[in-house]
Amino acid sequence: MTNNLTEQKVLEALRSVKDPDLKRDIVSLGFVKNIRIDGGRVCFDVELTTPACPVKDQLKEDCIRSVRNLEGVSGVEVNMKSDVKGRASFETAKVLPGVRNIIAVASGKGGVGKSTVAANLAVALVKAGAKVGLLDCDIYGPSMPLMFGLVGRKPEVTSDERIVPIEAHGVHVMSIGFLTSDKTPVIWRGPMVHQMIQQFLTRVAWGKLDYLILDLPPGTGDAQLTLTQTAELSGAVIVTTPQEVSLVDARKGLQMFEKVKVPVLGIIENMSYFSCPDCGKVFEIFGRGGARKISEELNVPLLGEIPIDPAIVETGDRGMPMVAARPDSLTAKVYGIVARAIAAQMSIANMKPDMAKAVDFQWKTKGA
Amino acid sequence: MEDQGRVTPAEIRQVDEQTFGITWQDGHKSKYPCDLLRLSCPCAACVDELTGKRQVTPDAIPKDIHPLRIQSVGRYGIQIRWSDQHSTGIYTFDFLRELCLCTVCKGGEKCQN
Repeated sequence: MTNNLTEQKVLEALRSVKDPDLKRDIVSLGFVKNIRIDGGRVCFDVELTTPACPVKDQLKEDCIRSVRNLEGVSGVEVNMKSDVKGRASFETAKVLPGVRNIIAVASGKGGVGKSTVAANLAVALVKAGAKVGLLDCDIYGPSMPLMFGLVGRKPEVTSDERIVPIEAHGVHVMSIGFLTSDKTPVIWRGPMVHQMIQQFLTRVAWGKLDYLILDLPPGTGDAQLTLTQTAELSGAVIVTTPQEVSLVDARKGLQMFEKVKVPVLGIIENMSYFSCPDCGKVFEIFGRGGARKISEELNVPLLGEIPIDPAIVETGDRGMPMVAARPDSLTAKVYGIVARAIAAQMSIANMKPDMAKAVDFQWKTKGA
Repeated sequence: MEDQGRVTPAEIRQVDEQTFGITWQDGHKSKYPCDLLRLSCPCAACVDELTGKRQVTPDAIPKDIHPLRIQSVGRYGIQIRWSDQHSTGIYTFDFLRELCLCTVCKGGEKCQN
């Protein structure tokens, strides 16, 4: 029996598999690698742009189905891998080299649970298989040491005087809280805030990261401005609660990022509803759907609606983000979905060519 | 949302000793004489914050003004360190595209590029 099975035929078959987020087939996206044919057995790798791909399982099934239909195929083995795409030339970047994507978690207004959301998203991305850092940019009210059970811990300093983030639940965490006492408030004017943020971006040994999550202080002030000017932010996520007063500020935050040309990956509605653990009934305590309204109005993706869960406060205060403490809870599952949605939107944004490349050059003069 | 390609640079370069240039992603090429670019500095010292009145006059700018160094500011603009030591202005890409001097951008019939 002659076997006409070729690599070409396998690739042809795989062209029918489309990535629903990137809206192209996986062959032209360059995801299919390392095809091996051994008699009737076909084996290949599919390298996605993020380990947190929301449609990983579906893509795998589609791959198997499309190749299995080829004549002469007796078995198909697909290895799902990932190589996180990042901003252009992230390896040689002056600020945060080695960090592929820098994602700001922001809100127009305080008290929407932004730090809780940032902490849980970071853990959810780690669980999906990504290398993740978390920078607590809230100079005046750092909350990450408490949320990650790191109160009182001091970071190590390398021989070249760079601060090493502290790892907890797989996340590399850095916070102003590690450098100051939690009993004395930080009373600084703008220039000091600017300087501290600069240090966090240039003097911390982040190492190689797929995603660096920045937990921004609320509003559109000094810290936000310094960050957008110093770091090449890859994208921003806006957190809001369902009330109109919070939505007004969410719009402002969104517009700030548009002004400084940082892609808004989407909007998250926190404290969206309460699902009663006893009767299963859903209560929409603050109303619901406000974020959906903005997402439609301003044409940005709605990344998810996170329920109110008393356990989130309790676990957070014990130094365990909910996603780590109760991975099987509804809340943790929703965080997993939101984290995947962010990773997908980041991949989409990275595919777009319309990003300005960083420049830094000296002017040439004849005299010089 | 406006067309991003129009206000996103594909290339930022020195054209000659007195001219700075940007090629935009929509294909348009803008050239900026250095003295005019210095005079247009949008910083708070050069433009009165409240009245919007320009504080710097052409006489105050040396004839041979030129940048020393040009650096990105985030994703949305550039900072120019000038030979007269001025460096506080952030030239956003939106601003630079508006500033384009070519006759097409200024409503003429023919583009000089």
